[in-house]
Amino acid sequence: MSRRRNRATGISVWLIALLVALVATIQIRSEVEVQRSLEGTDPTALAFLIDDLHRANDSLQAEATDLKSRQAQLRSGQSGAADQVLGAEADQLREVEGLVPVHGPGVVFEIDASGLTALDVQDAVNNLMTAGAEAIDINGERIVVGVPITAVSSPVTITAIGDTTRLTLVADLMTQQLRADRRVRRASYQVESDVVIRSVISEKPFVYAVPS
Amino acid sequence: MSPRQLAGIAVLAVVALATGFVLASQAKAQLLTPSNQVARYQALVLSVQDLEATNAASRRDVSALRDQIDALEADAAARSAKTQTLRSQVGDLRAHAGLVAVHGPGVEVDLRNGDAATSVTGSGYLITYEDVQDVVNLLFAEGAEGVAVNGRRITPLTAFSGSAGQVVIDQGSPFTSPIKIVAVGDRNRMVAALDDSAALPSIRAREVEFNLHLAFFGTPDVTLPAADSSLQTSNVSPA
Repeated sequence: MSRRRNRATGISVWLIALLVALVATIQIRSEVEVQRSLEGTDPTALAFLIDDLHRANDSLQAEATDLKSRQAQLRSGQSGAADQVLGAEADQLREVEGLVPVHGPGVVFEIDASGLTALDVQDAVNNLMTAGAEAIDINGERIVVGVPITAVSSPVTITAIGDTTRLTLVADLMTQQLRADRRVRRASYQVESDVVIRSVISEKPFVYAVPS
Repeated sequence: MSPRQLAGIAVLAVVALATGFVLASQAKAQLLTPSNQVARYQALVLSVQDLEATNAASRRDVSALRDQIDALEADAAARSAKTQTLRSQVGDLRAHAGLVAVHGPGVEVDLRNGDAATSVTGSGYLITYEDVQDVVNLLFAEGAEGVAVNGRRITPLTAFSGSAGQVVIDQGSPFTSPIKIVAVGDRNRMVAALDDSAALPSIRAREVEFNLHLAFFGTPDVTLPAADSSLQTSNVSPA
């Protein structure tokens, strides 16, 4: 009888130990799973990525809609339709490539600093491009991606045309960062309902690139 | 009660106590929290995957529409000298905007993440969008006539962004290491610039510290695809 009770006690102990091991294993495994799944990208970065992708997809959708409208115009068979479509695209590409003076809403930065490098200016340009800048001028030089930026002399005036709501968000951050930089004596910006960029780029013909 | 029975009861009590602690800590730590985190994370990942699929489809649509428009314009140009002249001008503008595939001599640059084990804290071993931006800017400064990053053509309005080893270019899905940058232009000049130890200081420092990988070579003929991103502008007008 006593031996039977001892065996029952032993079994109970083993069962409880098993239960403890099981619970501990589940807990540890679930923690490891979370860690593994979150490795590389954190949920905040994913949320930002989702926001960016939504905006990107909206832009692509708008581009597709515009292209469909051009396609319909070309298919209409109306006299001069192709010339209109080509002329409008030529005007738009000249603006994008910085070949003509442009105007529109935007922001104007004034930065007084010593020792700003080309990399600093490239970063500023990229920040403005990320915020949807459509035309940029730095100290009277038209800037588009692909135009080399060399050292700039202070004071630096950066003019960017684009959606002022998005540009203002970036301008706030840039101004805060600049003011925290020891090299910067003064940094400010103004939102303008209409600014003019008169500087232009002279297009260089391709020497090496051949259209495929 | 025998000593063995007493010992058995004591063991049982200790085990029961341990079980109680585990269950209590489990309840306190909310066992469901991790699984909810996983579910939330998975939902975010699924959202990203859906949006990336839509993004890829939209890019294909944009490319296909541009090709169809080009064909319609070619038809129209065949019937009118004026249209032919306009089409030629637009073709040149499109080429400079990255909207036309081009080929020619150039360079290929390969960027890869370094060794994670060398970075106890931080993410210095990861390739960032700033690294890609620096290489692209260097290539343009050395006369590149066109550049593509992982098959995505750089345009006059290109913006680089991203976080934690992700590189986002224009309206595209993010890229992660390895990143391949291809440029058409004077390959000797571009290779010499990439070879200059003073160029790309951040990448070179992390090459030493984190085994970041930067490799490049000149090539007699590389091909760059046409841009499939949007070049729409809605705020600028001719002055």
